[in-house]
Amino acid sequence: MQAETNDLQYADVNNDIVRSIVETGPRYYVALGIAGGVALLCFFFPWFYQLYFGIGAAGLNHPGVWGTYLASFIFWIGLSHSGTLLSCVLHLTNSSWRKAMYRSAEAMTLFSLMVAATFVMVHVGRPWFIHWALPYANQMEMWPNFRSPLLFDVMAIATYLTGSSIFIYMGSIPDFAAVRDRTTGWRNTMYTLLSLGWRGTDREWHRLHWAYTFLAVLIIPLAVSVHSIVSWDFAMSLVPALHQTIFAPYFVVGAIYSGTAGIVTVMFVLRRYMNFEQYITKVHFDNLGKLLLLLSLIWTYINMVELFTAWYSDTSTEHEALSYKLFGYYAWLYWEMIAFCAVAPLLCISGRFRTSMVPMLILSIAINIGMYTERFLIVGTSLSRQYLPDSWGVYVPSLVEMSIILGSFALFTTLFLIFVKIFPSVSIYEVKETMDTPTVTSNAEPIAPPEGSPA
Amino acid sequence: MKNFALGLFGEPSSALAAAGKLKGAGFDSLELMSPIPIAGVEEVLGEKKSVIKRFTLFGGLFGALFGFTLAAGTAVLYLHPVGGRPIITIPPFLIITYEALIFFGILFTVAGFFISSRLPAFRDRVYVPETGVDKFAVSVACDNEEHFKRAEAILHEAGAEQVREVGEED
Repeated sequence: MQAETNDLQYADVNNDIVRSIVETGPRYYVALGIAGGVALLCFFFPWFYQLYFGIGAAGLNHPGVWGTYLASFIFWIGLSHSGTLLSCVLHLTNSSWRKAMYRSAEAMTLFSLMVAATFVMVHVGRPWFIHWALPYANQMEMWPNFRSPLLFDVMAIATYLTGSSIFIYMGSIPDFAAVRDRTTGWRNTMYTLLSLGWRGTDREWHRLHWAYTFLAVLIIPLAVSVHSIVSWDFAMSLVPALHQTIFAPYFVVGAIYSGTAGIVTVMFVLRRYMNFEQYITKVHFDNLGKLLLLLSLIWTYINMVELFTAWYSDTSTEHEALSYKLFGYYAWLYWEMIAFCAVAPLLCISGRFRTSMVPMLILSIAINIGMYTERFLIVGTSLSRQYLPDSWGVYVPSLVEMSIILGSFALFTTLFLIFVKIFPSVSIYEVKETMDTPTVTSNAEPIAPPEGSPA
Repeated sequence: MKNFALGLFGEPSSALAAAGKLKGAGFDSLELMSPIPIAGVEEVLGEKKSVIKRFTLFGGLFGALFGFTLAAGTAVLYLHPVGGRPIITIPPFLIITYEALIFFGILFTVAGFFISSRLPAFRDRVYVPETGVDKFAVSVACDNEEHFKRAEAILHEAGAEQVREVGEED
């Protein structure tokens, strides 16, 4: 990072990042229109169709009563994991390479969590009863069962969503103030409110440092607990292949793995299309590539342990579930997952590969396809082979389900595109911390949006 | 209306030196403004103490108490016996306790930040937008013209590029 930002001055950082918010080209509106349109057509319309005609519109039926909605829920929760978690760990370890990428990674966490929470509502079929999961005084004097992992989920996800939102906002306050000083009109009013009157005094920096550090300390174990709890939704059932103690670390490692791959994808897009070449550099891809390699090795090890314990248990049901996973109806998906998540990331051993942007992008997408498959297999193969052969069956998602999966990616993209025009996607003050003190000064005049821009 | 002398510096070290000299000359109402946190402020202006950690601690304790009470209390209010097991079951309720601990720990930390940093503050205060870009400023409250002249001289001597007289609403 240092090497590639040596010719940059402090003022350039403000200019570049404020411009990325204020100046909006037609390409952005086209991308937003397509993403929003696909989200509406492929996510919301099919969901309304399912609400109108009932949950039968989905392919969920005995024995496959959990399907792609829950697989998607785990996937999106998992994708959320590297953002805030990685940012907190790198903040506490004082890693300077974090500074240019953490804001977007945290946004990824936030929007992934929102999409994941939406999938719970899609899955339950009657989302207007979702408040039944909340503890509130009611005329039936009925309270939720806090012994259930589903209630652990409600608490954990609500806490993680709150914590992640606060963490990204707190870290952005100084940058909102920097943008406030360079904008006019409604943007100036918005950033004045968002920056809360920040002036960058020694007192404010000191308090922000401590509050941010305490939040990071609180959020790291929280993130680990969230995916452990999600894993218990499955591991606490008595279904063969799900009832395993390895599930919590398996889910946590998978989540961080998938999230790190997601960060690579997002970094590539920001670098290419938001003109952040000077901020998101090869160093970031190199470090993320090393992290991917490490995570892929841990993930592969846990997968081997999962297979070994199933075999070593010497119970017929576990053996049946194992053989079905490796050689049954969904076997091709299993081997695709192994190819994408255990074999392909070994390419990251090569430094040349890690610093090649397009190959890293392709790898990151492949890993997330593999990780989605993993989540589908956890749900799909296990329920297809339970104890009694008369309850065996195959689950295939319906068109409504497949459309909603596709739409969820568009929904995430839409939210992210809105984010990049409100939040500074690269942290202004933290990038400056990695640079030398300015030698050339410039004015602090507002940057006006280009003529003809509706913004 | 309070008046301030505000010196603008291009280097954080010069701003820190100016703050040290002003403090040594008896000016006590000092503020540094910068685009990034400056290392070594506490050596010059004295150690800063923050109440945030207390907020975090009490938030966590309150959250833990709240979480356990919520889980145990609702279990007692709506009895749901399962296989003769206890109604107040410690292992699952500890998870709720833990999540509530973190939840309130986070909320109280934020409250501690707002209170101790005196934000939000939307009234007009001493501020120059250049400090959000690439300048480092030292502002000092001046009671009268003589004070201002002394502060101005110290700021110039420390290498201030500009010294401005600015006012702030009481």
